[in-house]
Amino acid sequence: MGKYLDFVSIPPDVWSLIFTWCNLLILFLLVKKFLFKPVQNILKQRDAEVREMYEKAEEAEKNAKSLEAEYSERLGGAKEEAGRIMQEATRSARERGDEIVGEAQAKAAGLISRAEAQIEREREAAVGELRAQVADMAVAIAEKVIEKEIDPSDHARLVEDFMSSEVEKR
Amino acid sequence: MNVDVKGPEILFEIPVLGGIGVSETIVNSWIIMAVIALVCFFLGRNLKVKNPSKRQLVAEKAVTMITNLVTDVMGEKNAGWAPYIGTLLIFSAVSSLSSLTGLRPPTADLATTLGWALVTFVMVQVTNIRCHGVSGWLKGFTQPIFVMTPLNIISEVANPISMAFRHFGNIASGLVITSLVYAALAALSSLVLGWIPVIGQIPFLQVGLPALLSIYFDLFTSVLQAYIFSMLTMVFVSGAQD
Repeated sequence: MGKYLDFVSIPPDVWSLIFTWCNLLILFLLVKKFLFKPVQNILKQRDAEVREMYEKAEEAEKNAKSLEAEYSERLGGAKEEAGRIMQEATRSARERGDEIVGEAQAKAAGLISRAEAQIEREREAAVGELRAQVADMAVAIAEKVIEKEIDPSDHARLVEDFMSSEVEKR
Repeated sequence: MNVDVKGPEILFEIPVLGGIGVSETIVNSWIIMAVIALVCFFLGRNLKVKNPSKRQLVAEKAVTMITNLVTDVMGEKNAGWAPYIGTLLIFSAVSSLSSLTGLRPPTADLATTLGWALVTFVMVQVTNIRCHGVSGWLKGFTQPIFVMTPLNIISEVANPISMAFRHFGNIASGLVITSLVYAALAALSSLVLGWIPVIGQIPFLQVGLPALLSIYFDLFTSVLQAYIFSMLTMVFVSGAQD
């Protein structure tokens, strides 16, 4: 068109002024909508996420600590329990051992006394038998010596007396 | 030869209300807005909480930097101002830097900077009223003593004007000086090389020096003025809260 506004005019061109205001408002809205709002949203979201992470981490740490305390407490209890059980076991084992040994000794003593009794019995039987045989033998020898029959009952009495005196002498 | 530094051209008219002239300033603003909006859209897309892409890191860095700047100057409670201050900062910087692409920077038009400064002015007054009530706001003008009232009013009104002219002046002067240097170099070029046929018509001396000047007038001034303008807005608004 070839028409020019003045290089500078006071007051300035009113329509230019109005356009300027509209332009500034429009650009403000565009910049806010396209740049500031989305970026601020993202920054806010990231902030919230980071804060959440920190909270979670702190909570996890607290949990871990309480668990650790619980476990160490439990471990202590278990050790104590183990010690107690051990002691108990040792004690009962010793008791049982003593019992077994006692029983064995009693049984052995019984066996020994029974064996001794049997031995005594057998010895007595042997002595009785021997005595009878010796008496018979003595009678036979005496018969041979004196060549005469003596009354067997007197004879038995004589031998018996002799044997007793002999036994007493020994 | 004459060097004619013109104001913004009226590119077309909207045929309502006796014809609304739409100037180069406004059209260039729209182009810049479209670029900024596209970049923001591209940066702010598909954001993820975990494993952010490089693109997302850039977006997050930008938003965090602007938010930190705002909270450093205005305090934690004013973090909600970050989008507006960010918009102002980016809009101003990109507008001024657009001169690098050959566009007429919108900030080289007083209408733009005054428009922004008036927005700041209104924000300051509204913030003041919101924090102190209407009576507190009016009483604020009589501090520290009643005699100071006219001076307080002048200083309050002077704020947007000084902001607007500072920004406008810096960018517009860059525009003017760049135009002058280009014209001068073209003249020098034709004086020195003009005797060579055909090649002499090409202003070779325009290569080089303007680029150096543009580092100051375009890059440095653009970013600095954007920073100053947003910084003053933050300072004035947070000052109105006390």
